[in-house]
Amino acid sequence: MSLFHLMSVSASGMGAQRKRAELLVENLANAETTRTAEGGPYRRKDAIFESREQSSPFSAVFQTAVDGQVQGVSVTDILTDTREPERRYVPGHPDADENGYVSFPRLNPAEEMVDLMSATRGYQANVAAMQAVKDMILRSIDLMK
Amino acid sequence: MLDPLAGKLLHYMDLLSARQKLVASNIANVDTPGYKTRDLDFQFEYLSAIAGMGPNVVEASDLATKNDGNNVSMDRETRLLAETALRFNVAQTLLKGQVKAVRAAIKEGRGA
Amino acid sequence: MSPISPIRHVSNTIAAPALGGRSAPGGGDFGAALASSIQAVQNAGTSAAQSAERFLSGEGEELHQVALAMQKAELAFDLFLEVRNKVVSAYQEVMRMQL
Repeated sequence: MSLFHLMSVSASGMGAQRKRAELLVENLANAETTRTAEGGPYRRKDAIFESREQSSPFSAVFQTAVDGQVQGVSVTDILTDTREPERRYVPGHPDADENGYVSFPRLNPAEEMVDLMSATRGYQANVAAMQAVKDMILRSIDLMK
Repeated sequence: MLDPLAGKLLHYMDLLSARQKLVASNIANVDTPGYKTRDLDFQFEYLSAIAGMGPNVVEASDLATKNDGNNVSMDRETRLLAETALRFNVAQTLLKGQVKAVRAAIKEGRGA
Repeated sequence: MSPISPIRHVSNTIAAPALGGRSAPGGGDFGAALASSIQAVQNAGTSAAQSAERFLSGEGEELHQVALAMQKAELAFDLFLEVRNKVVSAYQEVMRMQL
């Protein structure tokens, strides 16, 4: 299992965390959105991570059997929140129903912020891992000089 | 004069620099609507070893497409950038080693 | 008279094995040693080249294995060169000796 292959594993981690951060930022931006294209208030989105084998574009076909033991990560699904939206009493609102209640997205901005921090940390950790692997490769090259 | 390994190393380095150019253009076009990630089938090009003809540029598969039709993944490209540069470093060091070995034979261990 | 003669016998017995050591058996051993060390350098160089080629073709050769094989080959070659140079200079010195 090659050092270069480890880099693609770290890159998959970076990509997954970035996708998660994208969704969290979208959630935060739409925390008060009452109307969407599909009708109804905005529904919170979540990323599902799944470990997946990473194939390296440099490896020969018969190498993937060995590399398969090291798993990268990928975002396989985006889960849309199916809970009932939060209803608040705002009678003058243009989206109010006949009783004066408006449906707001059910999400907690504090939770989203904390998740965003965790996604940032995860991204940084993967970047640090890739740097460490790069360093190992450079030192191995130094052996040959 | 240098053994077949040197020829293979040169071919490898040619492919690496071609690939690096594609990676650079992918990174430059990360926001271009409708741009599809370009790549070359490295293993195939290296093993077929047809020198003189440029390698075939293909579209990279298995990438998610954004709303504007662009499918460049920054992480994939930055990782390829780093990996290609490192492999170039390895090949260059090996080639230097080959030249050094012949030079050592010429000097016959005498002098500096 | 009689105590002096044993010394002559001793000097005769010392001279013969020393001369014998420098003749045919000694020469044959040295040639074989040289040939085997040339072969060792050749083998190290070939396995280093093969290791590098396997790395380039993406066959799963680890980078540190390539580095190690390259260093072994370089070391074998340098050692061989040094030994050869020492032997050549020793030979030249012997030839320069006034007999």
